[in-house]
Amino acid sequence: MRPENYEAIKQPPSNEFELNFGPNHPGIEGNYAFRVKLNGDEVLSARADAGYLHRGFEKLMEGRLWIQNIALVPRICVPDPVPMEVCYSLAIEELCGLEVPERAQWLRVMQLEMSRLAAHLFAFGGHAATTGMYTPMFWGVADRDLILDRFEELTGGRVYSIYNIPGGVRRDMPDGFLDRLESLLDYLDSRLADYDNLFFRNQVFIKRARDIGTMSQEQALKWGVTGPNLRATGLAFDVRRDDPYLVYEKIDFDVVTEPGGDALSRNLVRRAELKQSIRILRQIIKHLPSVKGPVRCPIPNPLAWNVPAGETYTRVESSKGELAYYVVSNGGDKPYRVHVRGPSSMHAVQVLEKLAVGSRLEDIAQIMFSLDACPPEVDR
Amino acid sequence: MSKELNLWLDDLLKDIKIIQFKRKNSRRVRIDISPEALPALLELLQGRASYVHLSAISCVDWIEEGEFELVYHVWSYETNSLVSAHTRIARDPGVYLSVYDLYTPAAFFERDIHEMFGVYFEGSPDMEKFILTEWNGPPPMRKDFDSEAFVNQTFNWEEYHPQWLKDIEAEGGGITTRPEDVR
Repeated sequence: MRPENYEAIKQPPSNEFELNFGPNHPGIEGNYAFRVKLNGDEVLSARADAGYLHRGFEKLMEGRLWIQNIALVPRICVPDPVPMEVCYSLAIEELCGLEVPERAQWLRVMQLEMSRLAAHLFAFGGHAATTGMYTPMFWGVADRDLILDRFEELTGGRVYSIYNIPGGVRRDMPDGFLDRLESLLDYLDSRLADYDNLFFRNQVFIKRARDIGTMSQEQALKWGVTGPNLRATGLAFDVRRDDPYLVYEKIDFDVVTEPGGDALSRNLVRRAELKQSIRILRQIIKHLPSVKGPVRCPIPNPLAWNVPAGETYTRVESSKGELAYYVVSNGGDKPYRVHVRGPSSMHAVQVLEKLAVGSRLEDIAQIMFSLDACPPEVDR
Repeated sequence: MSKELNLWLDDLLKDIKIIQFKRKNSRRVRIDISPEALPALLELLQGRASYVHLSAISCVDWIEEGEFELVYHVWSYETNSLVSAHTRIARDPGVYLSVYDLYTPAAFFERDIHEMFGVYFEGSPDMEKFILTEWNGPPPMRKDFDSEAFVNQTFNWEEYHPQWLKDIEAEGGGITTRPEDVR
């Protein structure tokens, strides 16, 4: 017989257990962790745990000159750093009312698309690795290196180019650069068929990725999904086309969509965007020699540059989605406040937590890589 | 279609007295509004004017005025325009309403602002620590938080003078620090 004050000890059912996934795990992008609750290998709940990469960018920026921050911002996202520089520069230009010369705008678009190519090659290679196929990853990384070679030639830096400054770009491109870029594009074009055969039409990949991490278009809109992940649910929206910046209005490209909303569709959108980026770059190669003029407009002494008071919200389309900077100036030589809206701050936290529920443990890595989540954008 | 909707928004909002309406260009609108009316405005923008995408919530610490400025950036996929709704709340106690019931992404931004600025959002689903897990100092993004003073208070500077450095110094080299940079 039990005493009157008897209470059974509460403990979780014996078939449930918790697992720390990350922060140092090949199935996680960057240093990022998940606490997942499992029943067998079925995920019951997942909770994101960030902070392993926090470097305090927003606070650091408040203590540095406007121009010094140019060297800081690309570090927020390692695989795709150019949109960070461009977005921050656009904000300063808007605050100061600077008119960027047309040639500089074309050069910026050229880098943005090169960076997008490099980031997409990296992303689908990473996804392939999560399904056990390491060859596409090696190929993707090796081909990305060829793009980095062109970055090195153009800017002097391979990953963080620090080439865009408020008012334009640092210097014009070297002689014969466009020819070498064109031969690189020819090579990448010829590689697309190889990628298709090896990865995108591979049944191992298709059967693994189909119906994994599926979200409907309503869910995607509700959860604040942007970029290729939103286009993979069938909504044709692209900041480049619908909120155009720089010279994207003069460029002809398609906004590719896929109806599925699953990991497979997200990868197919990236595959199609590789093609579109090559198409944009070919138009730039054709058009750029006819655009003459300076590559930057005159700016005040950057070490004593007081940006007029005001606030602005600038957006660009990075390879991961909508990237935005909210910049506030109080008329001083340093920013008063910079808020970085990284596209992955949605994808890596809320969306991933929701999509992981009900999936299997081995698919979490696939979902994360198919969303192309970039943890440094969450931590900042 | 999209142009008409945009103008409709102009006409609608210009007549409301508690709103300061400013069109920056064809795709950017700035609205200044009191904190009591902001949730109603967002509800109107989302429900009636298709501003379904909450792009970001930004917080600015205006320490001299004793206020936090909260900026809600909402985007419409139909009219392709962005409305930035600015509101100011008192810095002390720094409490405001959550808009999580309207916009799901708000949960992340509110949690972030709570952590970095110490603003509490009533009704937000999750106000737990996220990035600064082992942090017990004041909210670091506030303007009165001095990073260097905090480090000096919390941690010790360590003397680092290993043998290899002594060897280099014996040969006349080593680290040179300008007198004004010595702590």
